[in-house]
Amino acid sequence: MKQQVFLEKINPVKDKMYRLAVRLLVSKEAAEDATQEVILKLWQRKKKIKDYTNIESFAMTATKNYCFDELKSKKNNNLRIVHQNYENKTVSVHRDLELKDELSWIEKIVNDLPEQQRLVFQLRDVEQMDFEEIGEITKMKNTAMRVALSRARKKIRESLTKKHDYGIKGN
Amino acid sequence: MELKEIKILLEKYETGESSLAEEKMLRKYFRNHQVPEELKAYQGIFAFSEVEKEKKSTVNGTLPEPVKSYKHLWTGIAASIILLVGIFLFQDDSSEMQDSELGTIQNEEEALQKSMEALKMVSKLMNESKQDLIYLKEFNKTKDKFLKTE
Repeated sequence: MKQQVFLEKINPVKDKMYRLAVRLLVSKEAAEDATQEVILKLWQRKKKIKDYTNIESFAMTATKNYCFDELKSKKNNNLRIVHQNYENKTVSVHRDLELKDELSWIEKIVNDLPEQQRLVFQLRDVEQMDFEEIGEITKMKNTAMRVALSRARKKIRESLTKKHDYGIKGN
Repeated sequence: MELKEIKILLEKYETGESSLAEEKMLRKYFRNHQVPEELKAYQGIFAFSEVEKEKKSTVNGTLPEPVKSYKHLWTGIAASIILLVGIFLFQDDSSEMQDSELGTIQNEEEALQKSMEALKMVSKLMNESKQDLIYLKEFNKTKDKFLKTE
C-alpha cells in the first residue's frame, strides 16, 4: 500500500482514534502521542491491514489496546498521566455559560468512570457506533457491553442529578 | 413527540437497550426542547456527547519515510562489509608469498650454479629472439624507398 492511499484511509478515522485516546488517557498530549503512535504502527503493519476490510474498527482496536497498555504501565510505575486540559473547549453553538460549565462537569464524571465503561460510553454515545462494531473493538460480549453502558449512563445521570440537587439546596 | 414516550425511551436508554435510531431521536428531542428539571441531566449527557464528537486531533497524518529507507540502508551496509571482507580474504591468499613457494636449495654453490643456469637460459633465449628482429631492417629499407629524408 502506498503512503498516500494509507493516509486517505486513516485520515477519516484519525479524529475518532484521538477522541477515544483522550477519553481513556484523559491527557490531550498523551492522546496525541497515542494517536500518532498507533498510526505509525498501522503503517508498519500495512501488509496485514490489506486483509482487514474494515480499517476503522482495526484502527480503533489498536488505539484501545495501546491506551490500555499505556494505562497499565503507568499504573505499575505508580504514575498518573498528568493532564493540563482543564480549560473548557468552548463551543459557540451552546450559548449559555451554564451549559459550558455543565459539560466540563460531565467530562469530569465520565473520566472518573471505570475504563471499560468509559470505553463503551465513548464508542456508543459519542461515536454512535452499533453494538456489533463496539463488540469487535472491545472484544466484549453483547450483555457485558450493555451492562457497562447502562452503568455508565446511570452513573453520569445520578452524579448530575446529585450535583443539581446540591446546588438547589445550597441556595 | 410526547414527553411520555421520551420517558420510556430514556428508560431504555439507561438500561442500554435503546437502538441507535432511538438514541438519535432522544438527542434530537433534547436539542430542540425545553425539558422539565428532572430530565436536565439527560440533556447534559446528550449535549456532552455531541460536543465530544466534534473534537479534532491536531495529529498531522505525516509518516516518516525512514521505515523503508532504513531497511535498505542496513542491507547496503551489510553488503559492503561482506564485499570488503571477501576482497581481503581472497587477496591474502594470492598476494602473500608462502615460504614453500620460495627456493628449496640450501647449498650456496649449487644455488649460484642454478641461478647462473637460469640467467644463461634467459640470455640465450633473448639472443635467439633478437635474430628474428633482422627482418625489421627489411622493413626500414622499404620505408626509405618511399620516404626520403635529407
